[in-house]
Amino acid sequence: MKKAKELYAYREMIASLVKRELRGRYKGAVLGFLWNFLNPLLQLIVYTLVFSVIMRAGIEKYYIFLFVALVPWIFFSSALTGGSSCILANQDLVKKIYFPREVLPIAHTTATFVNMLLSFVVVFAVLIVTGFGINPVACLFLPIIMIVEYVICLGMCMIFSALTVYVRDMQNIMAIVAMAWQFLTPVMYGQQMVEGALANHPLMMTIWNYNPTTPLINAYRQILYYKEIPDMHYIGMALLLGIVVCIIGWAVFEKLQKGFAEEL
Amino acid sequence: MKPENAIEVHNLEKSFKVYYDKGSTFKEKVLFTKRNRYEVRHVLRGISFEVKKGEAIGLIGHNGCGKSTTLKLLTRIIYPDSGTIEMAGRVASLIELGAGFHPDMSGRENIYINAAIFGLTKKEIDARLNDIIAFSELEEFIDNPVRTYSSGMYMRLAFAVAINVDADILLVDEILAVGDAGFQAKCFNKMREIKGSGTTIVIVSHALNQIEQICDRSIWIHEGVIKAEGLPRDVDPLYMIYMSSRASGNAQAVELARAADAAKGGYNRAEDKNRWGSGEVIMTSVTCYNDKGEDVRAFASNESCNIEIKYNAVYKIEDTVIGLAVYRDDNSHVYGTNTLIDTSEPVVLEGDGTAVLKIKRLPLNEGVYKIDFELHKPDGFDYDFWKEALRITVSNPHQEAGIISLEHEWTID
Repeated sequence: MKKAKELYAYREMIASLVKRELRGRYKGAVLGFLWNFLNPLLQLIVYTLVFSVIMRAGIEKYYIFLFVALVPWIFFSSALTGGSSCILANQDLVKKIYFPREVLPIAHTTATFVNMLLSFVVVFAVLIVTGFGINPVACLFLPIIMIVEYVICLGMCMIFSALTVYVRDMQNIMAIVAMAWQFLTPVMYGQQMVEGALANHPLMMTIWNYNPTTPLINAYRQILYYKEIPDMHYIGMALLLGIVVCIIGWAVFEKLQKGFAEEL
Repeated sequence: MKPENAIEVHNLEKSFKVYYDKGSTFKEKVLFTKRNRYEVRHVLRGISFEVKKGEAIGLIGHNGCGKSTTLKLLTRIIYPDSGTIEMAGRVASLIELGAGFHPDMSGRENIYINAAIFGLTKKEIDARLNDIIAFSELEEFIDNPVRTYSSGMYMRLAFAVAINVDADILLVDEILAVGDAGFQAKCFNKMREIKGSGTTIVIVSHALNQIEQICDRSIWIHEGVIKAEGLPRDVDPLYMIYMSSRASGNAQAVELARAADAAKGGYNRAEDKNRWGSGEVIMTSVTCYNDKGEDVRAFASNESCNIEIKYNAVYKIEDTVIGLAVYRDDNSHVYGTNTLIDTSEPVVLEGDGTAVLKIKRLPLNEGVYKIDFELHKPDGFDYDFWKEALRITVSNPHQEAGIISLEHEWTID
């Protein structure tokens, strides 16, 4: 409770770090802040060219199928990989001045979250402009999914940012883990493909479904690609998992943060 | 925690592991276990003190004694192995200035970022923005990116932010080395103002004169424990005596020369509690004369006073500063100056000689005044400090109040 109050007092620091990260990233570039939109748009064009001209996938409008899952995935993976180094990157601050250390993972996760929101502006523009269309009722569930994902990302970011201070290899390990994790989550393929392949292995299917990112990514796709109301049962499970991850993350962080200044 | 206290520190202990050759990657940790040998260094071995609200204390001690560690523990950058720290109110530290400055952003934007790191909200920063800009004297440059600033401008901006946080407790580590002499004086006055407004201050400094001017109490930390604690005027000399006995260099030669002086029937400095310093150059006598040239200790208000300092240097010393400080007998600091302030050049002293300071008028009210004399290096290292070398009484037939007598005249219509 005391910690929450203190973090609230430091809200301006969180806000200014988020601003610094978003504005600092493209500072000096001619197009500046516009890159936040341009970057996802150009990626989408590349995927469209590759998958509708060169590698035809068996899924209709595959570039949209892929893209509505890829944008939230990028948020998750950058919270994981970038997040693991977010305390190292700010070591000058940590070594020399007091502030609640939780500010750093919170600011990093929030900045990548805002980045995802900006990419979604492009996603929506594409959905409308191409005539693919959206289901407004299903879209009402989008914020819930996003918050669940934010909670999971924050927990992950806290655990790995704190561990990286003690074991520097964590940054490199997380880069590989994030890549492997991407292939274990239905980002580039659909849930049906897995269900088909694992039809005779119910145990493996259960394990598969415990991956917290699976129901999340599926929910994004259900809302935006299939234009359906997402399966709230899975979302509830993901939220539960997210809260558990967040509590563990906070506990690990609290334990490790006392030694930050000495380890850096 | 007692309500009148701002800081309570109980039995603080802290040790660091000093690795001989530290490996931080997984491979190094597993394969080269020998490399992970370390030595445990006990920096603090049980320190306890209390600071009252509105009090200013100075932590002194030689390098590595644990004073900066104590300050870091107070800022909560690091945590103690055992013992507790309790603090009441918002804490700001002038330890690392300009934390979080982004070179590509403007001075104004950086004020917001930097102040936010001190825990200020947007509203609070808005309210202070003009004060901060005015204090930094960067009005014309405030919207330029910080990378275009000179290092002096950068520090001025950083200091301006830190000092305008309005903390309840201010922690300071060797700050007054910011900017040019004018800005330093300004910082110093601001520190006094902050202290006057009731802020609790903890300063770590080697510049004992700064501590004496701001602090109510000095704490001398030695080898991780508190060696002495009390009024700066009482504790600082003990520390200086210790430091000059440690300073090897010419210590032996100087000691021999001074011992020879004493043997010749001269004055034995070492036995005088009010004298300390390394002794390369010493004051052999200090006297004062009135305008008739008589050697007296009683003056009338506004009379002239010539002070004569006789010195003796063991060898040619090129970096001396001759200074004096006047205190009233209740220890209020009345006046202080030195040759560095007045001429901005160190003085060269060789062999025997005399320095004379002519004071045209003593604008003092009735009372007893004590004068300290000091020969020191520009960085504050004492060659010879003579506490209360002169005591003079000033009489003032007019019954004016206060320390000084202002030249004045009434006009009543």
